[in-house]
Amino acid sequence: MTALSTVLLFLIVQFPAPPQNVRAYDTPNDAGNSITVTWDLSPDDSVVSRYEIYRSKGEPSVDSAVVVGSVLRGSTQFEDNSVENNVHYYYFVRAWVDTLYADSKWSAAAYAKPQWFHTGRKSALVILIFFGILLFYYLQKAKQGAELYIRRIAGLEAVDEAVGRSTEMGRPILFILGLGFVSDIPTLAALAILKRVSKKAAEYESEVIVPCYDPVVMTAAQEVVKEGYMEAGRPDLYNERNIYYLTADQFGYAAGVDGIMVREKPGAVFLQGLFYAESLILAETGHSIGAIQISGTTAVTQLPFFIAATDYTLIGEEMYAASAYLSKDPLSLSTIKAEDVAKMVFVALFVLGVVLETLAVITGNQSFHFLKNWFALF
Amino acid sequence: MRREVPLFITFISGILLVIALFIPHKPFGNLEQRFNDWYIIVSGFTMILGIDSLLLHHWNNFKRKREGWIYSIALMLAFFITLIWGFYSGIKVGSPFKPNSSFLKYFYTFVFVPLQATMFSLLAFFIASAAYRAFRARTFDATLLLTAAAFVMLGRVPEGNRASVYLFGIALLIAAIVLLLEAKERVSTFEKLLHYLGAAVAIVLIYVQYRILPSYLPQIADWIMNIPQLAAKRGIFIGIALGGIAMSLRIILGIERTYLK
Repeated sequence: MTALSTVLLFLIVQFPAPPQNVRAYDTPNDAGNSITVTWDLSPDDSVVSRYEIYRSKGEPSVDSAVVVGSVLRGSTQFEDNSVENNVHYYYFVRAWVDTLYADSKWSAAAYAKPQWFHTGRKSALVILIFFGILLFYYLQKAKQGAELYIRRIAGLEAVDEAVGRSTEMGRPILFILGLGFVSDIPTLAALAILKRVSKKAAEYESEVIVPCYDPVVMTAAQEVVKEGYMEAGRPDLYNERNIYYLTADQFGYAAGVDGIMVREKPGAVFLQGLFYAESLILAETGHSIGAIQISGTTAVTQLPFFIAATDYTLIGEEMYAASAYLSKDPLSLSTIKAEDVAKMVFVALFVLGVVLETLAVITGNQSFHFLKNWFALF
Repeated sequence: MRREVPLFITFISGILLVIALFIPHKPFGNLEQRFNDWYIIVSGFTMILGIDSLLLHHWNNFKRKREGWIYSIALMLAFFITLIWGFYSGIKVGSPFKPNSSFLKYFYTFVFVPLQATMFSLLAFFIASAAYRAFRARTFDATLLLTAAAFVMLGRVPEGNRASVYLFGIALLIAAIVLLLEAKERVSTFEKLLHYLGAAVAIVLIYVQYRILPSYLPQIADWIMNIPQLAAKRGIFIGIALGGIAMSLRIILGIERTYLK
């Protein structure tokens, strides 16, 4: 650009006002090597094309400053993840309008350091400690032989019935593990149910088909089904070929499983694990072939579909409770008991909170906010 | 020993990841990411097992001429065509997913994407059939579900406010006629009166809803979604979170061992 055009541009377009109040501070709750820079928008933000963030090491010097990043207009924050720990850095922000720019003042010195505790997770730690104490208490009770009452879960009671009915009809059992991976807790919970189903199927000399979405889940499912057949004393009936990989494509998987349902006509269909948009496609096809269906998922958006389309549904935590419920192992049941007590404590806290906040609104007395204020500390 | 070693690895990994959640400092801070990286590497290799399982299953279907074996041939052909075409495009233009790749144009865009869309579009019909079963007002719960769904659906669609006046009006009129017809068949005077009263209420409601429903329907729909619906959802979320903690602790402490051989 020539000098004349720059002068003309200066006459036509005003230089933008610079960003204000540039602050730099150590990024909280991280492993170090990061400084967060914030600023107030330039008053001319609507015409600013971008903000460039400059950094100087040791002292605020324009000569040694380097660009560490840029953000679009409207942005007031930038995280610089390329700094050394315990070294002082200074920052300024440049607002650009076409070829014209305005620089902010330098920020105060900032340095990065790693933190030893994530302050944003205090509440999680409190809940974990509280839950740990409850768990320890009920584990001890279970070890002492105390009877632990767990409410009846209809969906789990129906597992044996579904396997039995399928056997009577002379049809196989289809177990669908959904789109989860082996690192997902719902998939692990589903594998626990699969073990029970395969054990029952082995006792009744029935066949279990498990089409898988993920090869790791397939390997785990093969082991689980084999273990179930062995526990039932019928390893000879185990057929590894019935637990196979289908595809890692969501709707390809749905199409494949639908095809299996229509061809094999299973007497019982288990839909257990993580499901997304394909849930209703699978459940409705299962219904169309007249199979008894037991579903279970922690995907809240899919639960209404399962409730509408299948015979029994394990809602959220009921699925997690399945292995303990089915095995009746006292140690496992003690963890469910601890979970139930924790839930009751939370419900009591919610009710108390609602009452106190309502009283605060009615009376105008701020002291009723004490519970809310206490939780705000976390 | 066969069980103890995996249990020990699970315990140590679980405890380390719990610690890493609260300590951002090295070496804990990026532990979860490292574990995920390892998982991705391991799972990459297991894809070979998956392919082996898939092809063997369909080869056996074909060899034993099981029902639908022709589809197994289609699958194996599609698998090898995709594989070879993908490699060919990759070698020719650098990646099978570059804009000038024939694989992307002819296979991915013209075959794969429409097939996915076809499966997804089936959902519309399945929603209708599932909704028909779920909304049949046979029980109190189903009636409640039907009413809530009607309010939400009409409150969230364009022109739903105006259409709702006629739909609810017709529904109430039918209810009034049914009640009047039922009243004739009742022997008890009290039951007859009750039915006549019900019919009268339905007729009054036709006028009331005509006057107020168009202005309040969106608010009613929002209220259903933001208060009872959200409260129920949060309740389930809390249960899932606590259930997740309990399940994780069972796995870490070795109480839950279903995933082990």
